[in-house]
Amino acid sequence: MIWFPRPLAGGLAIFCLHATALAEAPALAPAALAAAVRSDEVSIPTPGELMAALDKLGKPDWAGRIREPITTNFSRRAQMALNLGGLIADGYIAVEAEDAQQLKNLGRDILEIAKALGVPKEIRDRGKSLTEKGEEKQWDVLREELEATQNEVKQSLAANQDQPLIDLVTVGGWVRGTEVVSASIAEKYSESGARLLRQPAIAESLAARLDLLPEKLRDDPVVKRVREKLAELARLVAFPRETAPSEASVKALHATAAELTRIISTKEKK
Amino acid sequence: MSRRLFPALLALLSFTAVPLAPALPTDAEVAARQIALEVAGAFQNDGFKVRDGHWAGRLEKGEGKLIQVNLFAGNEYWFVLGAVAPATKVRIAVFDEAGQPVESEPYEGTVSAAAGFSPGISGPYYVQIALLEGDPAACCMLYSYK
Repeated sequence: MIWFPRPLAGGLAIFCLHATALAEAPALAPAALAAAVRSDEVSIPTPGELMAALDKLGKPDWAGRIREPITTNFSRRAQMALNLGGLIADGYIAVEAEDAQQLKNLGRDILEIAKALGVPKEIRDRGKSLTEKGEEKQWDVLREELEATQNEVKQSLAANQDQPLIDLVTVGGWVRGTEVVSASIAEKYSESGARLLRQPAIAESLAARLDLLPEKLRDDPVVKRVREKLAELARLVAFPRETAPSEASVKALHATAAELTRIISTKEKK
Repeated sequence: MSRRLFPALLALLSFTAVPLAPALPTDAEVAARQIALEVAGAFQNDGFKVRDGHWAGRLEKGEGKLIQVNLFAGNEYWFVLGAVAPATKVRIAVFDEAGQPVESEPYEGTVSAAAGFSPGISGPYYVQIALLEGDPAACCMLYSYK
């Protein structure tokens, strides 16, 4: 477990290495854990973090995870937001798959939904340099700049008081991401891969956010179904620390996430 | 066409994790973040990616802050805390979801500290930051991973 980064020798000359590697602080009380800060900027992992962990288990077949185009002409903001999140997750997959055409297609779909949701034009104008890198297929550079861009834009979106909308996008993205990751792990099952699916705090947090949505959004038919199914998914990703879920459990988890994705992307009939 | 569409995709990624209308950072918080970034930047040569998101606030002596993070087994992480004067010594430590301290590689500067940790189990962890010496000051916690 002990490891040292090479740059410490030079870049971190200001540091003094302490011999005591094990934290000597006393254990934290449950009340302290419950009161801990939960900030999306550091408490919700980025797709890059999960992808880094997945890559250590062998390069996933990202191209094989690209899905058929979904409809984008939703009539209600809640479903638009949920699908925006899913499409954004698809964007990450396209980058990993290094599929420029898919990225263009997703960009078109995302733009369509984003306009319907009233996303400001100035935000869409951010990132021209990233576009150029995408066209030049500088995937490695893109991966690094992607996150910086999205966090710059976060500040702007947060100022619009769109938290309920943002929560739904977050849920849509997490569900689609969980579906894709669980599919990869189920396809080439290993205990170490299955352990990556353990995300109890994230699922709990997202379920709680849906419970706190404004009544109008909470009562949306699709949101209602998502809340029910998300509770089921939350249980499946909250397995014990000591055990890896079985192959059957991973497949069940994937089936639930896939059903959620289907609910989110199916346009409700009036 | 893609020149217009791809920026939209990138921009919209930001929807995924946003607190409601955060207050603008103070100059001291910006300075603390800069210190944290300088420390974290040293790890980049070894393949660590610095996460752009961060938590900034004010540290009071004797009142540590606890921040939840969600980590993936197999990844390696460096959690970095930067602070500004009048803080003179800070500490950062990592705990598991049961509240037990985990084994990590600690480094300490004058107004910065870092903890390297590679989880064996995916799930929630807690980063504790504290002011050990000096007076209350702005601070910033961020992390890098590979």
